[in-house]
Amino acid sequence: MKRLLCFLALGVACSGSQAQSLERSHDWYALPLDELVRVQIPPQADVGSRDGAHSARDASVPIDVYSAEQLLAVGHSSLAQALAALVPGFNYPRPSIADGTDHAPPFTLRSLNPDQVLVLVNGKRQQQGALLHTNGTIGRGSSSVDLNSIALLAVERVEVLRDGAAAQYGSDAIAGIINIVLKGYGQANLAQLSWGRSSAGDGLQRQASLFHSTPLTGDGFINLSAELRDRGPTNRAGPDPLDAGRINTHFGDADTQDALLAWNAELPRGDTSLYAHGQFNRRHSSANAYFRRADDDRNLPQIYPQGFLPRIEPRITSLSATLGAKGLWSNASRWGLSYTGGFNDFHFYVANSLNRSLGLATPSNFDSGSNFLAQHSVNADFSHDFHGHNLSGGYEYRLEHYRIRPGELASYQLGPESSWYPGAQGFGGFAPDNKVNAQRQSHALYLDLKYALAPQLMVNAASRAEHYSDFGATLNGKLALRWQPAEPWLLRTSVSTGFRAPSLAQSHYTSTAMVRDGNDILQYGNYGVDHPVAQALGASALKPERSQHWTLGAVWQASSQLTLSADAFLTDIRNRIMPTGYIAGWNLAQLSPQALAILQQHQVDGTTYFTNAVGTRTRGLDLRLDYQRNLSQGRRWQLNAAWQRAYTRITSINHAPEVLGVGMTDLILDPYTRVTMQAGQPQTAFKLWTQYRTPNYDLALNLNRFGSYYSTWGSTPVKFAARWTLDAQLSYHWNKNTTLTLGATNLLNAKPSEWGQTDDELTGSGKPIPYTQYAPFGYNGAAYYLRWGLRF
Amino acid sequence: MNKSSLRWLSLLLLCANAWLAPLARASDTELQLKAVFLGRFANYVQWPHPERTPFVISVLGAPSLGEQLTRLYADKRIQGKPVLVRSVTSIHDLDMTHVLFIATPSTAARQEAIAYAQRHGILSISDSKGFADQGGVIQLNFVEQNTQIKINHDAAMKTGLHIAAPLLSIATVLRGPQP
Repeated sequence: MKRLLCFLALGVACSGSQAQSLERSHDWYALPLDELVRVQIPPQADVGSRDGAHSARDASVPIDVYSAEQLLAVGHSSLAQALAALVPGFNYPRPSIADGTDHAPPFTLRSLNPDQVLVLVNGKRQQQGALLHTNGTIGRGSSSVDLNSIALLAVERVEVLRDGAAAQYGSDAIAGIINIVLKGYGQANLAQLSWGRSSAGDGLQRQASLFHSTPLTGDGFINLSAELRDRGPTNRAGPDPLDAGRINTHFGDADTQDALLAWNAELPRGDTSLYAHGQFNRRHSSANAYFRRADDDRNLPQIYPQGFLPRIEPRITSLSATLGAKGLWSNASRWGLSYTGGFNDFHFYVANSLNRSLGLATPSNFDSGSNFLAQHSVNADFSHDFHGHNLSGGYEYRLEHYRIRPGELASYQLGPESSWYPGAQGFGGFAPDNKVNAQRQSHALYLDLKYALAPQLMVNAASRAEHYSDFGATLNGKLALRWQPAEPWLLRTSVSTGFRAPSLAQSHYTSTAMVRDGNDILQYGNYGVDHPVAQALGASALKPERSQHWTLGAVWQASSQLTLSADAFLTDIRNRIMPTGYIAGWNLAQLSPQALAILQQHQVDGTTYFTNAVGTRTRGLDLRLDYQRNLSQGRRWQLNAAWQRAYTRITSINHAPEVLGVGMTDLILDPYTRVTMQAGQPQTAFKLWTQYRTPNYDLALNLNRFGSYYSTWGSTPVKFAARWTLDAQLSYHWNKNTTLTLGATNLLNAKPSEWGQTDDELTGSGKPIPYTQYAPFGYNGAAYYLRWGLRF
Repeated sequence: MNKSSLRWLSLLLLCANAWLAPLARASDTELQLKAVFLGRFANYVQWPHPERTPFVISVLGAPSLGEQLTRLYADKRIQGKPVLVRSVTSIHDLDMTHVLFIATPSTAARQEAIAYAQRHGILSISDSKGFADQGGVIQLNFVEQNTQIKINHDAAMKTGLHIAAPLLSIATVLRGPQP
């Protein structure tokens, strides 16, 4: 009977929803004009469907929108850090002593891989970085988009689609999509200067940013953003008891200088608009490899009597540019044609180092070569509205190009003075044997249908057929239902399939070095899957990762001010691409005689290559609360809270190549890899951001809880406890155009838990490296900043 | 009828109730706000023929906005007059009106509607980009969730409308020669 009453009560509530809506309009009508213009509409999103901007809160799939105001109010100078502070499930650890990864750290969504997130800028695919993360960091074996190459001041909002959407947008959209929308029409000019540093006294941050908008006739615009960002290094390494208690290691943020430029322009002419947008980034960065003590075999005391700390100093250049036109065919049909091209060049330099095998003839600075990735896309789109429904679709052509350029001779050479230590210490250069020049093309046709079966019931069906020149064809589909039984309630569900194309880097990355074994010179390292050695050892062309997605959620819009949502999700991925373990006789006891013979025949000590290895299932739940209230006298209170749980388990293991004679578990899934894949990232995250605005000042607080995560010491899992952090920011509006801001990130100086006691001389509590580089909020502790902003 | 049957019947009634409820979504917030603004704008405008009654708001090409306006202004008066809302699909269907909201996507159709409004002393309003530059009187947009109002003062004068200072003070006002 109680249930019956509940149903009836709900029915009454449904009947009253229309009255509530009308009441809200009456309330707004009664407001003074200056208060009425302060009423905000719900956040709009472009991502998720192709029929234009729509309300994010009642979309058929879960979408979160983060405004420029929120991104700036958490106090971080770069986009990736700002999103890590705001987006539940966005994991952005700050790795250190991880070669190139220190300089362009990857991010993940829902505890999956960095390359399982699609990043769009103004709806156009952003190319990934050229760097393949090969060290033991989160995202090992994948490449990632460098969000920090986009000036924060250029961003109007960031849309996060929390669902698989490869059936609409193509490869990579497995954990979700991040769509970065650049500032467009109607934006004020803005200049900012900021200065900050960590509470430990290091990590000096200086930033100068400018956003300028030139309005054009017909509400066109040319927007330009420029930013100079100087981020000093931090160091949380402890003293080395084996080196007289000296702090000889660097474990912390890289020393990074960025120059960024972004543009966004639209020129309307009648029913046609020409548009262009893009961004350029040049980064000089410096971080370190492990310290080589004076008596280390890799050192020459005549050159470095106190030992040496090699510096890896890449120069990273990235460019992305879009040029397009869009217009109307008729009152009900729209068209679009665009080109997007870009590249990322990651050029390794090493300083304060040596090539031990060259003896005293060694240089100390090296050019270690570069990785380069370019991407060109052409899109032709249409969208047609009919009787309240929409049919959209299009064609996409994409060309990708991946190169490895060798470094200078001394960076990889095995000289006569040592049998074991070739090339530049810290980061050995790419040899001519490693040179790669690979490319592929893809063609895609896609169709989206949004059909209102009834006023309250919307179905969204999408399909995308794609052909890649390397692995062939793939066809994916998506079906989403959105049912609104009454105004405050929305129920939504979706099922879809997806894929991730193997990256050119995963297929072709080759990095080798040499050692001398008697009179023989042996090679070791990673080979591309098309390399003769890898093929002889069972490597085959990589297949795409295949995924299946399911979401089910509900949204309750209690009032125009309060929205709550809950969405459960499930993501199955097959054929996940991973690097093998080191295939060598001394490392794999069961390695077949045939494989040993192949290694010997090719004079190879051992190797790794990429393969389709395992399947996983990720289950999770997102809860979200958005509240906003306009108060009298121009005041406003806003609160956004979100909680996410994402739990990944390995569900299937592919067969290893027979020639190796070992199982896939032995070949790839050592305890470290298994733990990292399943629990290396926080399984839960809680975010609470709130801001109180007045005409004179704004106060913003951002509370985060990063759930626990694991790594391994040897083969033993080590748990790192959950942590809370708090960011705070106070802005004083000096006048209508000038704002002075004082803030702190990680105000309570939370530090990640340490490794604990270990038998290692380098890593562990009380050792030079006390923290894990998996810590989701870094290990710098508190930092403070001052910012001056001017609207003009 | 046992308890279980009652529960299922209730659930069925609930679904039917929901099914029959009019379309109303959270995204209607924008529509509701537009409807409110239209009436509020009218309170700050003087028309060349103030004696015309009732107060008519016509909506060209946006029936859902017409429905919102009808509901909101059913018991309201603008400038002391009862309000009549009309939804039309072509300017040829227009009759005497005070306000014309123009939601035609093509520039040419918009231009035609603006010219009609200017000739007949009608306050033209739209949320189309470039509307005020095109000669429309009030352009209403939402940028980063916030309302932006652009008023073409010269177009208002040419139409014979006088816009009061409080409305001009919250808007970007275009003056001088317009294309």
